[in-house]
Amino acid sequence: MSEQVESLIRKEYSAGFHTNIESETLPPGLNEDVIRFISAKKNEPQWMLDWRLKAFKIWQGMEEPEWAHVKYPKIDFQSISYFSAPKSLADRPKSLDEVDPDLIETYNKLGIPLHEQEMLAGVAVDAVFDSVSVVTTFRGKLEEAGVIFCPISEAVHKYPELIKKYIGSVVPQRDNYYSALNSAVFSDGSFVYIPKGVRCPMELSTYFRINEMNTGQFERTLIIADEGSHVSYLEGCTAPQRDENQLHAAVVELVALDNAEIKYSTVQNWYPGDEQGKGGIYNFVTKRGICHTRAKISWTQVETGSAVTWKYPSCILKGDHSIGEFYSVALTNNYQQADTGTKMIHLGKHTKSTIISKGISAGKSQNAYRGLVRMGPTAEGARNYTQCDSLLIGDRCGAHTFPYIESAHPSAVVEHEATTSKVSDDQLFLCQQRGLDAEKAVSMIVNGFCREVFKQLPMEFAVEAGKLLEVSLEGSVG
Amino acid sequence: MSEFQSHALVLAQQSTGLPWLNEAKQACADQWQTEKWPTRKTEAWRYTSLQSLESTLWTLPSDAALDALPDELMALDAIRVVFVNGHFSSQFSSELPASLTLFSQASDAEQQAILAKFNQVAKVEKHLFSQLNTAALGEGVFLNLRANQRLEKPVYVVHIHTGSGASDYVGSRLLLSLETSAEAVVIEHFVTLSDASPMFNAVTEVDLGENAKLKHYRISMESEQALHLGSVHAALHANSQLTGFTLATGSRLKRIDYHVRHLGSGADLDLQGIYLPKYNQRVDYHTNVEHCVPHCTTNEVFRGVISDTAKAVFNGRIHIHQDAQKTLAEMSNRNLLTSNRAEINTKPELEIYADDVKCAHGATISQLNDESLFYLVSRGISEAEARVMLSFGFVNELVENIAIDEIKEWLRPRMAKAFGQSDDVVRHLIHDESID
Amino acid sequence: MFVSDTMLKINDLCAKVEDKEILRQLNLEVKPGEIHAIMGPNGAGKSTLGNVLSGRPGYEATAGHVEFKGQDLLDMDPEIRAREGLFLAFQYPVEIPGVSNMELLKASVDARRAHAGLEEYSAIEFMKMAREACKTVNLDQSFLKRGVNEGFSGGEKKRNEIMQMMLLEPSLCILDETDSGLDIDALQVVASGVNAMRSADRSFIVVTHYQRLLDYIVPDYVHVLANGRIVKSGDKSLALELEAKGYSWLENEAV
Repeated sequence: MSEQVESLIRKEYSAGFHTNIESETLPPGLNEDVIRFISAKKNEPQWMLDWRLKAFKIWQGMEEPEWAHVKYPKIDFQSISYFSAPKSLADRPKSLDEVDPDLIETYNKLGIPLHEQEMLAGVAVDAVFDSVSVVTTFRGKLEEAGVIFCPISEAVHKYPELIKKYIGSVVPQRDNYYSALNSAVFSDGSFVYIPKGVRCPMELSTYFRINEMNTGQFERTLIIADEGSHVSYLEGCTAPQRDENQLHAAVVELVALDNAEIKYSTVQNWYPGDEQGKGGIYNFVTKRGICHTRAKISWTQVETGSAVTWKYPSCILKGDHSIGEFYSVALTNNYQQADTGTKMIHLGKHTKSTIISKGISAGKSQNAYRGLVRMGPTAEGARNYTQCDSLLIGDRCGAHTFPYIESAHPSAVVEHEATTSKVSDDQLFLCQQRGLDAEKAVSMIVNGFCREVFKQLPMEFAVEAGKLLEVSLEGSVG
Repeated sequence: MSEFQSHALVLAQQSTGLPWLNEAKQACADQWQTEKWPTRKTEAWRYTSLQSLESTLWTLPSDAALDALPDELMALDAIRVVFVNGHFSSQFSSELPASLTLFSQASDAEQQAILAKFNQVAKVEKHLFSQLNTAALGEGVFLNLRANQRLEKPVYVVHIHTGSGASDYVGSRLLLSLETSAEAVVIEHFVTLSDASPMFNAVTEVDLGENAKLKHYRISMESEQALHLGSVHAALHANSQLTGFTLATGSRLKRIDYHVRHLGSGADLDLQGIYLPKYNQRVDYHTNVEHCVPHCTTNEVFRGVISDTAKAVFNGRIHIHQDAQKTLAEMSNRNLLTSNRAEINTKPELEIYADDVKCAHGATISQLNDESLFYLVSRGISEAEARVMLSFGFVNELVENIAIDEIKEWLRPRMAKAFGQSDDVVRHLIHDESID
Repeated sequence: MFVSDTMLKINDLCAKVEDKEILRQLNLEVKPGEIHAIMGPNGAGKSTLGNVLSGRPGYEATAGHVEFKGQDLLDMDPEIRAREGLFLAFQYPVEIPGVSNMELLKASVDARRAHAGLEEYSAIEFMKMAREACKTVNLDQSFLKRGVNEGFSGGEKKRNEIMQMMLLEPSLCILDETDSGLDIDALQVVASGVNAMRSADRSFIVVTHYQRLLDYIVPDYVHVLANGRIVKSGDKSLALELEAKGYSWLENEAV
C-alpha cells in the first residue's frame, strides 16, 4: 500500500463517522488516488485496478449527457464521497448474529427481516448496506446446486477468470458517462453464476439501500447464466429520507448464454424528494443484458422512487431466436422526473422482443418513456411489439413518449402503440357511488392500468408493488 | 461557423428592390453565421447527414429560357404561378387575381401586409434552413384572402429547375394568409426537367384566421440528384382547418419539416404524407404539431415505401401544452420495406403537459404480405407487378382520401410512376381510373 | 333496521347544472318498502334528480333539504351516501379498463359492511354470492373477471348495474332509465332482479320514459316531473294515462 493511500486512510479515520453504524467514509472528491484507495481497500489484484483506472481516464474525457427529458442542478462530482463501508465489516460476520444490531434494525424497519427470510424457503438475500455486501445467506444451499452468489468484490478474488471475461463485456466502460464513472469507482454489488443446465433452486434477491449522507452509490452487478440455465433475480431498493440529492449510478450486466433464461425484477422506491421536490435520489443506471442463441432476458420493473431517474434496461438479442422482454411501471408524483425505457437491439434472426410500458404521472411530475427498437441488417424475421400507455392524474404533470424505431431489415416487423389518457371524473364517480373513497378509487384504477406488468412480477413483489403505488399516490387526488 | 455556413453566405449577397426584405435578409444572414452547425449528435439530424449539401459551393442561377411548359404541368385547371430556376415566369403563369401577388410587384399596401406576416409564422430562429431561405430570398408569392373570400380555382405554384447547373440554389417563399372564413386550395409542385442536382429551399408560411379553411398539397418530385430542404409553417386560429397533404419521392437529400401550431380553440389539422425513396435516396420528414389551446384536433398519417438501399426518416412530434385540455390527437406512421437493404427510422413522439386529453400514436414497420403477393401471382400477375401493386396500394389509400377529385386523379398516375421504371408494371395503376 | 319511518324526504329541492337551474323546489317523500316511478318529458330533470341525490360532482343543490333515513343527505360525500345504502343504477355506466368487476364489487361491499360495523365476507363466500347474482341477471360468470363495463353491450351494462345492486343490498335504489335501450327479454331480466329485491325495508325510485317498464315493476306511486318539479302524482294508472295522452297536457301546470 502506498504511503499516500495510507495517509488517506488515516485522515478519514480521524474524520470520524456519520451514522450510528460506524462507517469508513472517504472524504468527498475524485481522482486517481481515490480509485487506488478503493481498490486497495478491497485488496484487489493489479488487473482490476488497471481496469478501473482505464475507465477513469475515459470518464475524464466524457461529458455529462443532456438529452434526457430531465432537469436538475449540475452535479459536482468532486463533492461526492466515493467510498463508504459499514465498519463492523472489517471482520466479515460469519452469521447474522455477528451483524451490527443497528443494521438489522434498519432492515426490519424496511420490512426485510433477515432472520425470517432465512427461515422462509426460496429467497436468499445478499443485502447491500451502502456499498459493501454485509450478509449473504443460503450460500450453502446454492453451493450445492453449483450456483455462485456472492459480492462482486469477493468474486474478483475467487473467480477472476469469470470476472475478467465478462465484466464490461455487456456494458463497456466507455458506454456512457455514468457507466464509465461506475467502472472507475464501483464499490460492490452482486455476482451470480449459474452453471450449465442448472435451474437456480431459489429466487435470488438483493436489497439495496442508501444510508450515508452524500455518498454516491455505485453498485456493479454481473449475472452469468451458462448454457441452458435459469435464474430469477429480485432487486429491491429503498432509501431513508435525506435533504441533499444523492447520486446513484449502478451498472447491471446480464449474460444469457445459449438457451439460458434470466428474469430480473426490480421494485424501486428510493426517496423521491419531499412534496416541494427537495432532496431525493438521482438515479442514473445502466442495465443491459446480452442474449445468445435461444436465450431469454426479461426485465420487469416497478419504479416509484428517485427524484430524477435515467434508466433503460436493455437487451442485445445477438443469438438467433433469442427473446427480450421489458415490463415497466413508472410512477412519478410531486416534482419527480423520470426518463426511462428500454433498448431492444435485434441482431440475430427471428429474435423477438416485447415492451410493455405503463407511465403514471401525478402532481407536478414529468414522466417520459424513451425506447429504442433497432432491427439490424441481419435481423431476419425479427419482431417487436411495443405498447406504451400513459395515465395522467392532475393537470400539472407531464407524460411524454419518445420511441426510436429503426429498421434495416424488410422481414422484421415492428409494431408500436401508445395511448395517453386520464383517470376520468366519471370513473371516479362510479367508484364513489359504489362506496369507495376517491383515493381508493384512483389506486384501484391505477392498479388495473398496471396489471399487465404486475402479472410478470414474482408473487410477493407484486403485492409489494401494489402497496407501493398506493403509498406513492397519497395526496395526489384532491 | 462551419465552412459551409460561410460559403452559403454568398447566396445572401444579392439585394432586392425591397428595403424591408433586404433588412430581413441581413438579419437572417447574421443569425445564420452564429448557428451551431448540426452534426449526427444533434437530435434533429440524428439520422440524416448534411454532407451531400456541404460539399458544393452553391450559387443563384440566372433566369433560364424555357420553350414550352411540359404538358404535365398544364394538366390542372388552376391559377398557375410558374417559377423557372427561382425566377417568376410571366410567360407560363396565369393572370394573377387581385388576392395573389409577387413580393416584387406588390403595392405599398400589400408590402405592408406582407411585412406584417413575413416570418411571423415561420420561427426562423428554430429552423436553420428557413434562416438560409430568408437570407437568400429574391422573390416570394403572397396570397391574401379577405374575410369570407373564396378562390374559385386552386392556386398551383410550380417550381421548375432546368439546365445542367450542378450547384444551383433555388429558393422560394409562399406566404398564405386567409382571414376569417376565407377558403382556398393551394398546390405546390417541385419538378426538375433534367438530371442536374439543384438544391431547393422552399418555405411555406400559412396563417389561418378564424374559421378559415385551407387545403394544401405539397408535391416534391424532383430528379434523383436534387436536394430539397423545405418547410411548412402554419398557425391555426380558432375553428380554422388545415388539410395538408405532402408527397415526396426520394432524392439525394430531402428534408421536409412541418411545424403547425394550434393557437385558437376548435382548430383542426389533418396532415397526410407519403414518402417513396428508392435506389440510394433519402427522405426525412420532421413534423411538429403544437397544441397551445384547448379543444383542438390533430390527425396525422404518414406512410412510406422504402426500396433498394434507400433510407427514410419520420420524426413526428405532437406537443400538448398545459392549457390545451380536451385535445384529441392521433398520429400514425406505417412503413413498408421492400428490400433487404432499405432502412427506416421512425420516431413518433408525444409530449403532453395537459391531463384531459386523448392522444394515441402508432408506428409499424413491415414488408409486403406474402399471402397477398401469392394471391395476385396466382391470378397470373407477374411478381414484379404484384409487388408494385401492393406497395402502391399501401400508400394509395391516402391519395384516395383526397377530397378534391381533380387533384386525386392528377396525382394518382404521377405517384404510380414513381413505383416502376417501366410503364409496363405500373400501367394497370395508371389506367385504372379510366375504367371507372 | 332503522328508526325513522321515512326512507327519503325531499323538501323544496333546487339544483343546478353548469349554472342552469334544473330542479325547482321539488318535493317527494318515499317510505320504506315503496316503489316510486318518476316519469316526464326530456329535459324535465329526471336524471338530475338521481345525480343530485347520489352527489355527482357538477350537480349542485342550491336550496332545500333532503333527509335520508333521518340524516342530512346533502351533507354527505358521495361514497358515504353509498355506504349508507343509497344506490344509483347509472343511465350510462362508465367503462373502467383494467379494474375487474369482481374487484370493484368486493371493494364496494367491504366498504359498505365496514361502514355498518359488519365483518367482511370471505373471498369464497363473496364469490358464491357474486356467481348467484350473475345467474339472476343472466350474465355469464366470465363478466366478473372482465374490466368494469369494458366492452359490454348496452344491455350487459344495465344488467351489470342490477347485479351490483343485488350484492350491495342498498336500502334506496335509484334506477336511472335502466330500461332505455333494452329489448323485452333484457327488460324482464332487469325487472325480475328488482322484484326479487323488493322488501319492507327497501325502497325504489324508478326513473323512466316508458310505461312498459312499469308493467314489470309495479310502482306504488307514479310522479310526473316537468320543468324541475313534480306536477302530478298518482298510482300506476297515471302511467297508462301518460302513455296514452303524452305529457303536454301537464307541462303547463308546472309553470
